[in-house]
Amino acid sequence: MSRPLLSLYTLDRATLKALSAELKDALADDDRARLSALLGLGGSLVERMQGGERAVDWFLRADDDPAAAPFFASLRRVTRKRALELSWTSAEPSLEGRLRHFDVLRDERPVAELIDKLLDPARLPWFLLRPGATAGWLDDGRRRALSSGLRPLRPALPPEVVAFADALAGADGDVVVHDGL
Amino acid sequence: MGFFDKAKRFLGLTDEEGDDDPTGASASSEATPAADAQRAPSRARGGRGRPARDLPPAASSGPSLDDALAAREGGDRATARRILAEIDKGSGLRTLLRAAAALEDADEDEARSLLPAIAAEEPAWRVPLQVAAALGDERGVPWLDVARAGGAPGWATAWAAALVGDAQGRRRGLVELLFADAALARTVAARDLSVPGAVVDAEAAQRYASFAHGRDTIRRFGAGAVAEALARARGERP
Repeated sequence: MSRPLLSLYTLDRATLKALSAELKDALADDDRARLSALLGLGGSLVERMQGGERAVDWFLRADDDPAAAPFFASLRRVTRKRALELSWTSAEPSLEGRLRHFDVLRDERPVAELIDKLLDPARLPWFLLRPGATAGWLDDGRRRALSSGLRPLRPALPPEVVAFADALAGADGDVVVHDGL
Repeated sequence: MGFFDKAKRFLGLTDEEGDDDPTGASASSEATPAADAQRAPSRARGGRGRPARDLPPAASSGPSLDDALAAREGGDRATARRILAEIDKGSGLRTLLRAAAALEDADEDEARSLLPAIAAEEPAWRVPLQVAAALGDERGVPWLDVARAGGAPGWATAWAAALVGDAQGRRRGLVELLFADAALARTVAARDLSVPGAVVDAEAAQRYASFAHGRDTIRRFGAGAVAEALARARGERP
């Protein structure tokens, strides 16, 4: 199985907040019609969403639960469509390992901390996570700080990290990295 | 900063720049069990906000809380009280159970000697929340409010809310918990609510145990009696 590739997305944080609030309200109200519309469900999935004691129960199952997986996938698809825009995808599966372990990066503590923040999936909302996936985000200020921090290191960086640094510098605003969207 | 304050911050109701979940929902820098795990090299480590004191004690040669509860369940309340007195460290759940047992036996002198420590317990929200969860029905709702007023973090009140009150309140609690700590929500769904298809999250299981142990101990002792002792210590019934 090939290793996944990290992609960089620009994040519309206001839209993500609005989507999160919409999802939360629909789940709290157990409004399955609203949920189905929000997730863009059709046919048998609309019917499936009607099942069970509460709509939220679907999202308490494992991500790879056969019955719930289409709902998780729909939620990620809707989130991607509404709040994320693909900006760049690495060609190198080794990028994550380089970012996490390359000594030139690790020796620059502020840079390493920002990279760790960017690769921390715990900082993303639950509906953007997949088991085992690498993901995270940085706000615009930290994105620019990381980009600036990488610039002087450039001559010592491997090509895949240079390409990442260029993509980060070229992005605008908040960013999300993900290898499983 | 509490969960809802954090949510407000990220929703733009205050000026601070967001640093955690970009939606503000998981409030991962507050004292949540998730935040503790995220900061830890091992995701099983605890930290701020974790009710570690109520973890099942390590094996020792002396009598245990379990022995006291077993004696009580066997109808030997005198032995249960003797053990509770022996293992009481002057604060926490054991002191509360000791007071509850004293009140049951109308031993006002012993109860009065314990109530101040119970009233001064910190954090003030933990025991009321465990009592709410142990009561497990409408009787728990006022204790949930006490816990909220005592500064209980969002994940904790969401957890208890998922277990007490009417169906709508429980559902809303479960949704809050999903957004505050999804791994814990799935574990609660599997262990406490038997939600079909829900599976215990290995990373959250230990965090679950730390809170659930206190709740289950109160339940085993008798949640009503413990609630009564707590109300006496607080000087008011919620």
